[in-house]
Amino acid sequence: MEIITGLYDGLAIALQPANLFWCFAGVVLGTLVGIMPGLGPPATIAMLLPLTFAMSPASAMIMLAGIYYGAKYGGSTTSILLNVPGESASVVTCLDGYQMARKGRAGAALGIAAIASFVAGTVGVLGLMLVAPPLAKFALAFSSPEYFALMALGLAMVVLLAGSSMLKALLATLVGLWIAGVGTDLFSATSRFTFGRMELLSGIDFIVVAIGIFALGEVLANMETPQQAQMVPVPKGLRNLLPTLRDLKDCRFAFVNGSVIGFLVGVLPGAGSTIASFLSYGVEKAVSRRRDQFGTGVPEGVAAPEGANNSETGGALVPLLTLGIPGSGTTAILLAALVLWGFKPGPLFIPENPALFWGLVASMYIGNVMLLVLNLPLVPVFAQVLRLPAYVLFPLILGVSMIGVYSVSGSLFDLALLLGFGLLGYLMRKLDYPSAPLILGLVLGGAMERALRQSLMMSEGSLAIFAARPMPAVMLSLAVLILLVPLFGKFNAWRLRALEQKGG
Amino acid sequence: MKTQLRVVAQTQLRLVALAVFVGLGATPASFAQGFKPTRPVEVVVHTGPGGGSDVLARAVAVMIEKENLLPVRLQVVNKTGGGGAVAAAYRAEKKGDQNTIGFFTGVWLTNPLMSAEAKVSLRDLTPIVRLLLEPAVIAVKADAPYKTLADFIDAAKKNPGQLKQSGGSVTSRDNVVRQLLQQNSGARWVYISFPGGGERIAALLGGHVNIMVIEPAEAGEHIRAGNLRVLAQVSEKRLSGFPNVPTLKEAGFDVPNVPQVRGVVAPPGIPRENVQYWEGVFRRLSQTASWKKYIADNQFEDGYQTSADLVKFYDEFTDRMRGIMKEAGIKVVR
Repeated sequence: MEIITGLYDGLAIALQPANLFWCFAGVVLGTLVGIMPGLGPPATIAMLLPLTFAMSPASAMIMLAGIYYGAKYGGSTTSILLNVPGESASVVTCLDGYQMARKGRAGAALGIAAIASFVAGTVGVLGLMLVAPPLAKFALAFSSPEYFALMALGLAMVVLLAGSSMLKALLATLVGLWIAGVGTDLFSATSRFTFGRMELLSGIDFIVVAIGIFALGEVLANMETPQQAQMVPVPKGLRNLLPTLRDLKDCRFAFVNGSVIGFLVGVLPGAGSTIASFLSYGVEKAVSRRRDQFGTGVPEGVAAPEGANNSETGGALVPLLTLGIPGSGTTAILLAALVLWGFKPGPLFIPENPALFWGLVASMYIGNVMLLVLNLPLVPVFAQVLRLPAYVLFPLILGVSMIGVYSVSGSLFDLALLLGFGLLGYLMRKLDYPSAPLILGLVLGGAMERALRQSLMMSEGSLAIFAARPMPAVMLSLAVLILLVPLFGKFNAWRLRALEQKGG
Repeated sequence: MKTQLRVVAQTQLRLVALAVFVGLGATPASFAQGFKPTRPVEVVVHTGPGGGSDVLARAVAVMIEKENLLPVRLQVVNKTGGGGAVAAAYRAEKKGDQNTIGFFTGVWLTNPLMSAEAKVSLRDLTPIVRLLLEPAVIAVKADAPYKTLADFIDAAKKNPGQLKQSGGSVTSRDNVVRQLLQQNSGARWVYISFPGGGERIAALLGGHVNIMVIEPAEAGEHIRAGNLRVLAQVSEKRLSGFPNVPTLKEAGFDVPNVPQVRGVVAPPGIPRENVQYWEGVFRRLSQTASWKKYIADNQFEDGYQTSADLVKFYDEFTDRMRGIMKEAGIKVVR
């Protein structure tokens, strides 16, 4: 009952013409920021902060949140079209999204991404509205041992991301874990693998590695063979540029999976949307009947991570608004904005400012509809990018990649790193090493190492802490099961062969 | 044409400055001199958007604009990496550049002590002012058995190495406070580092650790909601928001006060008159109502100190930190 009246009051605020305008301005700006690799929502929000002092806090919050979730819609665009991840959470989208584009289904991939974003984004807001307080307790119960188990579960998925050779996949994972180890160790302030370079003290930015290996590696590999003028077929006619009913049917489970995993992971202050997108892709692949086709361009491989990425927004707002705890760069700057406007974010924020909270929730439903209406017509337009001849497209990808990396750190050193990782990506393609396991190791490595060391400090060195707590015990058992899957497959093949020989 | 325009603009600004000078009847030395920024001034911070220095720099930019203290705008530039080392090096590279300043924290002094790669120290740059001190409070969960800091220390003595504190990197102020308290009392407890502020407080609220050194504004809301209890405050005198909580000294632990310090630096090779100009700008900022409200809202302490005093502060601070780090078993390279 309280929720209905709250939402009713919220709609009254969100539907005021000024607030509708700011919501629209936020989501449009967010979409643009998301499409451009590099410049992310935290930097955009920080730049716009002085502007918001002339606005009412509700309007300002509605606009800044619009930038936050709008950017997540746009993030998939360059992943699908150019294999350049627009933001870290869109890296997984490259795996199947870009392959769909290569098959001439770029429009379908973009459409699926938009629809998945809409469905999961809405589910995320629903979660924020309905279960925020109890979930805040769940977020607090989740500590280092639980994070370690979650990361271990994620890392176990490497067996699902492996291509032809498990050995090569594991080697790639280890390289990813090693790259994650570069930088200053949090626990001892010792620098590791920095080779005396100050730029490496804070580690290697994940997006530099991802753009290098995916985008630059792809361009280099493609340039080996002389290209026809147009490398990717783009079908004519609007109908062929949108997802088919069959695609939507294939994605049924992915929509649910992405929504739920994204929201739950979002609630945890120590996880984030990149991990959410990897987990939901792994789960999608694990339960799929056509597991072997993942990575060749299946729509559910786009829908699951894109959904998770978007419903994560609703989840991440739970600890921010119910406890005043930020879990990411974007929520940290939103927290700073609330303080600068004179609010006191914390456990009493929602009870004392119900109008602001409900206005924000209502505006997020409206904003998600706006984003769908805005993004679907753009799909055929964006798909035309692929009509560009190779001699335009390749320099375009290189340019977009470099600008993207430079705009994050403004450092020439990172550009050199980008080229280095581009070369690594090229070599990995030539030698048939899968790149997804490396990225997975890099995403999870740092957080996993920290969680392990924190857990052991909590337990005074005893590994029993992982068995004694229920959540880690379950998640670690699942991880072991997943790791055993390929062994079962091998055993089965061996058994069949043995039977055949007996029979023959 | 362009130069002419600029000269006209400068003359006008000087007239305005003169008017302000005469009007206020004050004697800011800087106004007698020639320096005035003529294009937007770059403010370099070492944290990403939303980090401590970034938030402060953006708040200062807004206040300076609102109070009309500067003829040009301040533009915040994030140079992240190396725990401040990248931003410090960037500062040093801009030798003699008059249109750029930076915000520093104590990390800019401690980081070069531990990282051989962090070659630029605050001492290589031109000090401008110290702006503020961020005190801290020591908090436990509201349902914890410890009513005073002495209760916690006694419990830690009875169970050496079993109680836990959540905090940032081992070089952060949180750990320094722990080291000082351990040396003072002989008690031992574990320090667990978390990279994000959110994770630290979540670990405390979730009961995974026992104690935390936390920023007063952050703790304030959790105290009001009945989730946390404050045992002591890390500040010279009691903060307005915590009139009934003893300082460390009052709680019976005579350890040096270690506030988080924030201030402003310029690149090396900056003329004396520029330093005086900026000193004037920030002194006037520290006297405005906006600044006083900002300080009170965040439970900070005003730490205004001029360029000359700041250099003395550097040395004291660096020496003390070096001693504490060595004591804590952290490798010191300088």
